[in-house]
Amino acid sequence: MNDTIKRQLLNYTIPAFMVIVIIVQLFLVHTKQLSRWKGGGYGMYTEIHYSHNQIYIQDGISVDSLEKDMDIKEAFKLLRLMPNNNHLEKVAKLVLKKTQRDSIHMQIWKPKIDSKSGLYTRVLIDEVYLKNINP
Amino acid sequence: MRYLEDIKSKLYEGNKVAIQMLLLILGVYVFIMSQFNSIWKVPILFLGLLIWFFLRDKTKHPIIWLVFLALLLCDFWHSYFWVANHHFMITFVVLSVIAYMYHQHKGVLQKNIQIILVIVILTSIVQKLMSDQFTSGNFYYFMINKGALFQFIMKFFPESLDIVQSNSESYLNLWETNPNDGQTIVFKNITPNIGYVSLLFAKITIAFEFIVAMAILWKPKRAWVHILLVLMILGILITRLETAFMAMLASCGLFLCSNFKLKLSYVLIVLGCVTLMVTKLGYH
Repeated sequence: MNDTIKRQLLNYTIPAFMVIVIIVQLFLVHTKQLSRWKGGGYGMYTEIHYSHNQIYIQDGISVDSLEKDMDIKEAFKLLRLMPNNNHLEKVAKLVLKKTQRDSIHMQIWKPKIDSKSGLYTRVLIDEVYLKNINP
Repeated sequence: MRYLEDIKSKLYEGNKVAIQMLLLILGVYVFIMSQFNSIWKVPILFLGLLIWFFLRDKTKHPIIWLVFLALLLCDFWHSYFWVANHHFMITFVVLSVIAYMYHQHKGVLQKNIQIILVIVILTSIVQKLMSDQFTSGNFYYFMINKGALFQFIMKFFPESLDIVQSNSESYLNLWETNPNDGQTIVFKNITPNIGYVSLLFAKITIAFEFIVAMAILWKPKRAWVHILLVLMILGILITRLETAFMAMLASCGLFLCSNFKLKLSYVLIVLGCVTLMVTKLGYH
């Protein structure tokens, strides 16, 4: 192999892999609602942390009590990190299965703040209503 | 004076000091991370130690570095979306160092580090520009009023801590309510005009990072470039103790820098950050 080409390959191959990781992260941010904080895209401290995304279940089911189950806790963590409809449905199905309920209405909310007024609100990202077909 | 001469000669050992600093960061980081995915790391570590102990003088392969790389990759395999951004950066820098141990081109290693550093800073700017929450200053406003930034400085202003405490309580009370009820809270400002200050701070952050990235890309070895990088690192550390990431940035600066005082600054930053990481006062 030509020395110049070899040198260029050595110079740029590793950084090129880095760019690929970043492109994948940005793709996931825009298509799967991945938080900018994670995935190797160096977007930490660019938006409010994903842990402030709030999962809410109607009919008085406490999210805190559900999180005592490790599977549900992990699923909730992933839902807060990537709050898309696919994850929301999967998590709702898991909760439905674990709690043996007839139905579930699950929502995911994200925080919104206005620095001019100091107003902090929550905005609905997505919600799902599922019925247990095998009670 | 002899000690000063010793320090000088130590710092002028080319890439050696930077590689030693990187190995130190890596050792501490991997040790802290060993609590995650530990079942998978046990065989890697045990096998690695075994090979290192018996074969390190008989093989040309950088055993220690390869073991560290395997441990970093293990975290990617099991927790790709959970590892920090500097985990990605450390991995790419380690790959560059391992490649260097085979090709032995100092210039290539420095080019790798230079490009990695530029990519990290430029990407963080792009992410900031793409985030409305950041460019509007709303993100900094939230973080400052919640006491998540400038924690060290706030300790000297007790009244700020009271406001932070009050905001945190309001936030927690709101968290307990049904979001469908549409309840809201209004954050108290730790200082007047904090909204304006947050917006200004966001713009300055982007501008300064852009200048640093361009400077590293254009003149990676000039002293003034490294003064800017050191200032950026110190600025970030004052804002929040992101010690692992800043130690990585400083070790990258060390690879590129040839000025004695600036090299010493980088070494002090790395050692300080590593100390804070070990004592868990800083973030890993």
